Amino acid sequence: MRLLPVSAAVLASASFAAQAAEPGPLPFVACPIVQDTPTVPCWIVERDGETYYLGIQSDVSAPFNPPSLGHKVLVEGGVDRSAPRICGGLVIDPVTVSIMPEASPECDDLRMVNPHISLPFEPPRPPGPSMGRLAFTYPDPPAAPQPPFETKSFTVPYEFEGMVGFKTPRFLNPVLLYAQQTNARRVEIRGYRGATKLADGTLLAEHEGIARARAEEIAAMLLGAGIDQATYVVSADESPALGGPDNRRVEIRIVP
Amino acid sequence: MGTTKIGRIRGDRLLLLTGIACFAASAATSSDGPSRWWAPGEGRSFPAYLSYANDSGELGLLNDGGAFETKGHPFFEPLGRNGRACVSCHQPADGMALSLKSIHERWEATDGRDPIFAVIDGANCPNLPQGDPASHSLLLKRGLFRIFLPWPPKARDGTPIKPEFDIEVVRDPGGCNLDPSYGLNSANPTISVYRRPRVVANMQYVLHRNFGIGAFVGKTGEPALRDPENGQPVNMNMMADAREPTVKTQAVEAAITHLQFDGKLSPEQLQRIKDFEYQIYSAQVKLDGAGSLVESDGPPGMGPYNLARGEKGVLGNNITKWVIPVGDAWQVKKPGESDDEFAKRQSILRGQKIFHFRTFWIKDSMYLNNVGLGNPVKRTCATCHGMHMTGMDTANGWMDLGTTNLPWAKEAPRNPWQTEDELMPLFKITCHKDVQPHPYLGRVIYTQDPGRALISGKCNDVGAIVMQQFRGLAAHAPYFSNGSAANIRELIDFYDRRYNIQYSEQEKTDLGNFLTSL
Repeated sequence: MRLLPVSAAVLASASFAAQAAEPGPLPFVACPIVQDTPTVPCWIVERDGETYYLGIQSDVSAPFNPPSLGHKVLVEGGVDRSAPRICGGLVIDPVTVSIMPEASPECDDLRMVNPHISLPFEPPRPPGPSMGRLAFTYPDPPAAPQPPFETKSFTVPYEFEGMVGFKTPRFLNPVLLYAQQTNARRVEIRGYRGATKLADGTLLAEHEGIARARAEEIAAMLLGAGIDQATYVVSADESPALGGPDNRRVEIRIVP
Repeated sequence: MGTTKIGRIRGDRLLLLTGIACFAASAATSSDGPSRWWAPGEGRSFPAYLSYANDSGELGLLNDGGAFETKGHPFFEPLGRNGRACVSCHQPADGMALSLKSIHERWEATDGRDPIFAVIDGANCPNLPQGDPASHSLLLKRGLFRIFLPWPPKARDGTPIKPEFDIEVVRDPGGCNLDPSYGLNSANPTISVYRRPRVVANMQYVLHRNFGIGAFVGKTGEPALRDPENGQPVNMNMMADAREPTVKTQAVEAAITHLQFDGKLSPEQLQRIKDFEYQIYSAQVKLDGAGSLVESDGPPGMGPYNLARGEKGVLGNNITKWVIPVGDAWQVKKPGESDDEFAKRQSILRGQKIFHFRTFWIKDSMYLNNVGLGNPVKRTCATCHGMHMTGMDTANGWMDLGTTNLPWAKEAPRNPWQTEDELMPLFKITCHKDVQPHPYLGRVIYTQDPGRALISGKCNDVGAIVMQQFRGLAAHAPYFSNGSAANIRELIDFYDRRYNIQYSEQEKTDLGNFLTSL
């Protein structure tokens, strides 16, 4: 039984492959639902009479960022119809979940354990103490670069309407490390704004100004982390790029 | 009473103390006489080990650097104008914090003239007369000192931070937030909040640079504060609002604000303060009914010696280390162990299991539910209180459990028959339209203490408070940063209400015994 999702690396590739998913009910916005199990709870959504499985609760290392009751979620990805149902839901794989910022108090469905619903696999992290390791392993840092140093590009992805959050350091630590290792002279940061066309035809665009806000926030983070000798070039593309999650991003170029 | 093996100190001096010898060894500082209180500047010998009776048993303090004289030591000398020293609010008998019981004793002993009642922060506001109980109601009723912070906040380099929210004073029983000289509308706009002194022991855990410490804060992504001496990121786990990065910078700030010190601490003084704080370990060593917690075959997570040799800054919410390990201790009744003693120890063990394994739904708690676990998350006490040996978070441990934010914060009921007014101030926070609303509290938040948000200016940080260590709890009630839990039972009851845990009476008793034994 394949455990979904499987690694941080998969998350990255999943996110950027989302646009290639088969046409179908996605993307959509819906209330998330907690379906408890005898081990850890599942997160599911219901849409047009069908149930979809998003993922399970694990720990902070998980690439799947579970939703929040009290908020709707934007669900992007593709339905994997070859996979057996999990927690009664069709599996969305790859899946990208964005917690919508505004409150939706009607999203308050916590379903207790149903004897007919159980996880078909052992969760990597039980609801109590772990086995002494995180549920998912992070990729090893790359080997230290050797001169002559090359200009290198990095991408920081975002949830819909998202800004810097707990996951951002995973993407920014390699940037910081490379800038330190190569004694970066110049840091170019460009923010982007995304838009998503929902399956029902609704166009969902991030608010204007978010591209610049993202770029400036990343610049402040790198400055605050000690990259204070480089020249910063901060720019933004505020035209809402229609597509998948990969349009919501900041691109960073480190110039040694 | 059998021999109690306290442990090896500095490799060559094994302390084997019987219960009687232990009491004798600490007699100079453990009785209920005047020596229980360490007065600033009195000049005493601080021994390698000392202990103090408390309402639940006995607290032990291990001074891992060995005995020294406090005369001239900057932690123990009154440095500023009000006669206080660091030790004033970090008393050995109180586990290096300050209990409400000690505050009351000092009030009685000095008629309100002890330096801890200095009006700068020992009164509700400096404009109140010292010695009138009404001037010190927050200190006398909740053990709270005034923390006064500039508004809007300033970055560490002094540049103003543009807040994401507006703040209004809704209720000001202390009178300071609306005072024309000290308040929000004064020439130097200031917000006063009221907080408990924290434990200054086991600091190698509190200030570790191990798991989870990096250039960016793990929960928010923001750049971590850095040690000005070496540029390295720090864990920001020391103060309620994480505003100071190191023991030394905190000492500089505390000397100015709490001690009213007009000078400048020398590098040597700062190093002596740091050395002392890094070498003192504090934990309960005896629990009424359970006897010694630190016998040679006792639980490996108990007592100050085990703290001193424990692994610093690692996760304990796992079956390899545990937050508080108990090992194989107390599993079977030992020869000479009374039925009552065995039963109490069994209760402690059950409490340890509840702490690690009893799941409940943790919901709407900022910096727990929004950092990759989901909201709600089905977890246990040890999820948040996960650091091995202390029960702190390993990194950047500010969270909002609702201890200061409404609707969960303790508030006096309002009705026609209520005679006692609420003690705490109340602020209205309105998040600006150009930032996202707080995910669980929306754009308008009422709070008794905005916590981390007074430093960061961020809407999401309103009411987020750095969690405290669990050691020596029996010595320094009340609990939470605002002293809203008068005892450990009230602390447990808060969580029970907050998360609808539905603990049974037995579970509450067992969890309470476990926490009291730490």
